[in-house]
Amino acid sequence: MSAPTLSLRPAALLERLLPAILPLLVMGILLFFSLSAPGFLSVGNLSSLVLNNFVLLAVVAIGMTWAVAAGGIDLSVGTALDFASLGFVVSLNAGHGLGVAILVALAAGGGAGLFNALLIAGLRITPFLATLGTLFIGTSVQQLLSDGGQPIYIAQAVLPGISGLLLLGIPLPLYLVAALAGAYGLVLARTRLGREIQAVGAQPQLAYYSGLSPRRILARVFVGSALACAVAGILLSSTVNAYVPMSGNAFLINAIGAVFMGTTLSRQGRPNVLGTLLGVLFINVIANGLLLIGWNFYWQQVATGSLIFLVLAASFYRRRTP
Amino acid sequence: MSSLETLARPATEPANNLLPRLAQRGSLLVFGLILLVFAMTAPNFLSAGNIANVFAQSAILGILAFGLTCVVIGGGNHVVSGGLDLSLAANLGLCAAVYSSLNNQGCEAWQALSLTLACGVLVGAFNGLAVLLLGLPPLLATLASMNLVAGLELVLTQNSVLPTESALLASLAFGYWLGVPALAWVLLAVAALLTLLIQHSAFGLRLYAVGEYPEAARAAGLGLRRYVFSSYLIAGACAAVAALCSAAFFSGSTTGSGEMLLSVVAITFLGVVFSRRLTANIPGTLLATLLLGFLINGFQLLNISSFWVNGVQGVLILLVVAFSAAVAKQEGHA
Repeated sequence: MSAPTLSLRPAALLERLLPAILPLLVMGILLFFSLSAPGFLSVGNLSSLVLNNFVLLAVVAIGMTWAVAAGGIDLSVGTALDFASLGFVVSLNAGHGLGVAILVALAAGGGAGLFNALLIAGLRITPFLATLGTLFIGTSVQQLLSDGGQPIYIAQAVLPGISGLLLLGIPLPLYLVAALAGAYGLVLARTRLGREIQAVGAQPQLAYYSGLSPRRILARVFVGSALACAVAGILLSSTVNAYVPMSGNAFLINAIGAVFMGTTLSRQGRPNVLGTLLGVLFINVIANGLLLIGWNFYWQQVATGSLIFLVLAASFYRRRTP
Repeated sequence: MSSLETLARPATEPANNLLPRLAQRGSLLVFGLILLVFAMTAPNFLSAGNIANVFAQSAILGILAFGLTCVVIGGGNHVVSGGLDLSLAANLGLCAAVYSSLNNQGCEAWQALSLTLACGVLVGAFNGLAVLLLGLPPLLATLASMNLVAGLELVLTQNSVLPTESALLASLAFGYWLGVPALAWVLLAVAALLTLLIQHSAFGLRLYAVGEYPEAARAAGLGLRRYVFSSYLIAGACAAVAALCSAAFFSGSTTGSGEMLLSVVAITFLGVVFSRRLTANIPGTLLATLLLGFLINGFQLLNISSFWVNGVQGVLILLVVAFSAAVAKQEGHA
């Protein structure tokens, strides 16, 4: 890279190369699959890759970036997503307009975040356990409301059709991802709230002694994370035209993985939205490409798991060496 | 946060603080109260057969939670940087699949058994190495290995159920001794063994020291890595034993074992409240497991929808954790 002097110590070399690993890997696999996988670059495949996989995981992971930056983890992303999806579908079916449905969905998803915020800021519960509790309660509520997990379909007459809209030839959900990534990324990197979030994440005790209220900042972070998940819920239910109970949990593990892979992009190893998006792209492209070159679905899981493990290991190996 | 100050207080000082004692007694009281309510309202709740059944049905979750308890003790209870093993449930799935396929291929009973144990311990060793050698936070290391192990299980089973039967599984599933099902004995035996090892041996004391105050443990000359590593090995072995119970219970390997993960985490952190010092411990985990088992059982006997179980579990966790947070705050100010 642009290293002025090339150090021969492997640890130091790794440290200089680290920020480049993830972008190079993503470019590498994109190149590899476009050469080796028939149909990888076809419009049909790319649009399904983007709309069905990338967009949803990206939106959830953008919210998760905030949670991880603040030193916590949001296990209840699925709950916020599902609640939003439920609110969206129910209010559409009740005959309300699209605008009302979106507002209801944001309120329902944000409500889950508000519940987390109350637990964290009011009752001093750590984010991990607070969101774990929310996840359990959310599962129960959904089971009771949906008779154990029956999907609710959107009536034919009121199909929202958001995810199919094209603006200048680009699907609307991609604009949404860009807008959310810009907003969450800018707040995290450039504003006072962002700096406070990072301070709380890096040194909670020090942040407290400097006059910040970590619990109040955490409360905002978890409402923000839930709102992003609510957007994902709206997108999901307008793609599949239904509310499918407990479908949000599928994004949890990959969102956490993407955020931590993204930390390799920053010299200090901090969560950042751009890195998160690259991590999401990495996870999705690998899964899609391996499927296209005819790998067994089950080996795909092993391969994806190993690659994520390697990236994480490389990133933390540097941080461990003093 | 304030745990440093809490830990810095002399540990020998008898706990004359009201709140922690109330926490321990209070949670036992709640446990007793729940039992009492079910005993009075649910038919047959107190029959010996029903109680034995609850013990047997709790075996799988309980043994997994014992494994997680050991890891949390050795790694400290900070959830992101402390000890955590998210791969336990996936490890169970893989071990059950390994046992079923070995047994179906006609391996000797002892071969299948020892290879299954080896598989569990190997996954534990992998986690330990990832945490200690690569310096990954346990949350991430075990998250990644969970994905890997779940993938391997899929490769082995092709995402289907592998039915199997052997003398061992039959005796586990249908055996009785002194009128108590074999699975209940396994749960109690593992609990007794780990209680001896963790709560009453030099090894256990040092494991607590390593987890709660690594700097002091290092200064006292303990090899931290050995203890943390062995806690992951114990967790792996627990997953293998739980896998045998699960294979006996379902007559083979099943899909979707990963769904147990969050319940295991919840049970382990619930168990914390049954200890005087509010730390993870084996008897507390056993009590929490049984509490959950009795709850589910009571709901079934009363014909209450099982959809409530998750919610009650969630509320319990939040109550318990909020209470211990309040206690920790009070101690910090004292």
